Amino acid sequence: MSSNKSASKKIILDGLWGNNPIFRQVLGICSTLAVTNLVINTAVMCAALTLTTALSCFTVSLLRAYTPRRIRMMVQTLIIASYVIMVDLYLKAYWPEMSANLGPYVGLIITNCIIMGRCEAFAVANPPVPSLVDGLFNGLGYSLILLAVSITRELLGMGTILGYPMPYFSTLWDKWIIMVMPPGAFFTLALIIWLCRSIQTTGREKTS
Amino acid sequence: MIRQKKWYPILYMFLVTVFFSTILISFSRYTRDLVEANRKLAFEKAVLKALSIPLPVTASNMDWHNTYLEKIKEPQEDLQGVYIYKSDDMVIGYALPFEGQGFWAPIRGVIGIATDKRTITGIAMYEQNETPGLGAEITKPEFRAQFEGKQIALQGNPLEIKQVTEELDQHSVHAITGATQTSIRFEKILNDALEKWKTEFLHGDNRQ
Repeated sequence: MSSNKSASKKIILDGLWGNNPIFRQVLGICSTLAVTNLVINTAVMCAALTLTTALSCFTVSLLRAYTPRRIRMMVQTLIIASYVIMVDLYLKAYWPEMSANLGPYVGLIITNCIIMGRCEAFAVANPPVPSLVDGLFNGLGYSLILLAVSITRELLGMGTILGYPMPYFSTLWDKWIIMVMPPGAFFTLALIIWLCRSIQTTGREKTS
Repeated sequence: MIRQKKWYPILYMFLVTVFFSTILISFSRYTRDLVEANRKLAFEKAVLKALSIPLPVTASNMDWHNTYLEKIKEPQEDLQGVYIYKSDDMVIGYALPFEGQGFWAPIRGVIGIATDKRTITGIAMYEQNETPGLGAEITKPEFRAQFEGKQIALQGNPLEIKQVTEELDQHSVHAITGATQTSIRFEKILNDALEKWKTEFLHGDNRQ
């Protein structure tokens, strides 16, 4: 029981920090660059990705004993695509404004390497519940970095967070338009990866 | 064993596909009417906003829809797709739909024109995918409000979108800083629609 507990704790910590999909595995970068100039868009994108990763991993794991090895990638893509289309349809029907904001990026979750990466690296060889947890926390690890990027970009580029004007940044701050433009994402992401990796290395040196 | 058979992967893939397709098709059928209604409602809202027909902030989607049905007459054959705003058989305004290529994706919207056929009552967009925070600001009330009361120029371009440093006249509005591409394209889209309007309704057969 206790080994079980420590195993799931490891899965959780790895997804969030130790093996974070963005700054450790450097996966799913395209959406990190594309949807991070407004915090609200990013939050919805993160929720969609976390949900699809968790459910896809769960389903892939559930079917793992029956899926022939040679066609497993096809099956995984099919499963991932089904969940993504469901999210897309849901947004179109119940939150059309957000669906319009995110445009094609919801559909592009299908090609997000994090999902297939987790399916291949974890779900094909592990039972459903740990796979669900692994998918969920990798999604949350992704969200953590994306939100950091988007908060930085929206604050420096527009002086707001979630559309609310922030003191100093909305008035005295000379807004950096480039932060809202695509290149701003490259700089911010690179700096955040650098920062997180530095913290990680320092932590490891201390423990050893 | 069935799983050793050569045709097993084909059968498996077929069954998985049938299963997920069934779920997706039912979900898509279930949401189809809602998606379609959202699309129509976005257009109806744009028409009402362009004509500056006031609705309370608390107005529900149903209120918008009913107001639209009550006040707006769909285009007839001789009207070139122009919607008419009528009250007690009196024409109060015209709504001219426009569309064209923006920076990233098509921009679609509506221009409201008063009965003198020259004064703009407002503009509103119901579909666009410009950069959030920059080009997408064309949908913000601050930008759209500039158009209210402007006159369609008889000579030269019907309307102009000028840089923020330039002086404005009766036919021009200020662009959005940092969104040069969107501004240039948007000006062209508006003027293409207004040129057609000018030839048809200011000089053409529909003059009265």
